[in-house]
Amino acid sequence: MINIQDMRDTARDLLAKNEVRAVIGYRRGSSGMNAEPVVITDAAQADELVWDPTCFHNLALYLVEDRKFLAHTRAKPGLPIAIVAKGCDARAIVVLMQEHYFKREEVYIIGMSCEGTGVLDERKLASQGIQASNAAFDGDDYVFTTAQGEKRIAAREVMADRCLECRIPYPREHNVVLGEDKTGRVLAEPFAALKRFEERDAAERWIYWERQFDRCIRCFACRSVCPMCFCDECVVDSISFPVTAQTTAEEKANRVRWIERSAVRSENITYHMTRAMHLAGRCVDCNECERVCPVNIPLRLLNNKMEREAREQFGYEPGASIGAPALVASFLDNDPEKFIR
Amino acid sequence: MSEQQAEVTTDYEPRIVAFLCKWCSSAGSDLAGVSRIQYPSNATPITVPCSGSVSPMYILSALKKGADGVLVSGCHIGDCHYIEGNYLARRKIHLVKELLGFVGVEQDRFRMSWVSAAEGAKYSQVIKDFVEDLRPLGPQTKLKADRS
Ligand code: SF4
Ligand code: SF4
Ligand code: FES
Repeated sequence: MINIQDMRDTARDLLAKNEVRAVIGYRRGSSGMNAEPVVITDAAQADELVWDPTCFHNLALYLVEDRKFLAHTRAKPGLPIAIVAKGCDARAIVVLMQEHYFKREEVYIIGMSCEGTGVLDERKLASQGIQASNAAFDGDDYVFTTAQGEKRIAAREVMADRCLECRIPYPREHNVVLGEDKTGRVLAEPFAALKRFEERDAAERWIYWERQFDRCIRCFACRSVCPMCFCDECVVDSISFPVTAQTTAEEKANRVRWIERSAVRSENITYHMTRAMHLAGRCVDCNECERVCPVNIPLRLLNNKMEREAREQFGYEPGASIGAPALVASFLDNDPEKFIR
Repeated sequence: MSEQQAEVTTDYEPRIVAFLCKWCSSAGSDLAGVSRIQYPSNATPITVPCSGSVSPMYILSALKKGADGVLVSGCHIGDCHYIEGNYLARRKIHLVKELLGFVGVEQDRFRMSWVSAAEGAKYSQVIKDFVEDLRPLGPQTKLKADRS
């Protein structure tokens, strides 16, 4: 089991020895049980860092934010930046490096193995009627602090599905790693929800998705939280269309708008289909998008569909290696082509 | 409105948007024309530089604007002017097709073919088959934008 003090010591050392300019990690949130992301720049802050079952955020997002901030302020990165990363987060970092978003030596990865557990699914905990003020790892259990005292639950009962199904609960890419590599622990069959869903026929599937897409309010929380959605200009926004005093109404009307911003079905579908395509071979199944969605759109189903397709048809695993080409920028001679006339 | 009418009347004509590679399928469709091969006029051709340049966005956009079917046609494997564009297209389009099928859009609304500049007859056959396969599906309304 990981000793939290080891993580704090690592962060403290890195900052004290001036090896990194900051550490991205988790600290206790200001309300409730959940941890929250934090960036510390001073060795004295290292004791703020926490590691518990509510560390679900994919911190790779903040590497992207950091990069954008540097570009915006035209600052030189100088020292690398350190990040606390679970297996999925580390895979996200690898995808970003595959895409040359930053270089390996610019990031210092403090890997955290999930060992026999993973992170909590708040919905599952709520459905057990548990209200906790704190959560902690203990072997294969989670220990919650509740008003009625301590409550111990086997992690697999309230763990996120994606963690149950995780094939590599270990950050293979790391500078230092805490915890054992338990790759091969099988807690649940991967793509279980997807398989169940695919038993429905096309008409039923449409009825299901039609309802889901109708409900999307296009808040773009899913896009904001995703480390892979790093484009400065999303296809949904087309902000680079310069509107000046001379721009005629006709020009405005004729500019290419692939997707309208209005939250109506056709645009929502196009948004989600485009997003799924743009994430094919890149999504690391951190499930942050689904977790933050205020109206509970089952985004994981869509992402899983693409992930399984990439895996089964093209033998592609997202975030497997920094040198690997992107899914849609590579091909194999025997890629499926039965559908082609 | 007009969609419902089309469903009850038998003279529904599927509208196809065909993205044709300029080096092969587009020339193939020309050949079909100059050879005076008869084939249905349901397809609106859009010439693209290479099948590999067809973004999923084009396909979604065509469906959003009311296409009943979308065809992407490029050079045979090994013949792409840009060496590997059609290999990349094959992969991308497989994914689009799977994704649309997954959310319940009829997979038959979407097709890919390899048609060389010499295959006017094949082009006309591809269009004929596509029109026939689209007819029983009726108008595509799932992805179509509601402009009413
Ligand atoms: S899917 Fe959810 S998070 Fe994403 S835009 Fe729609 S409502 Fe917002
Ligand atoms: S699409 Fe969702 S699950 Fe995939 S990497 Fe982005 S936030 Fe994570
Ligand atoms: S040039 Fe025809 S498919 Fe690439």
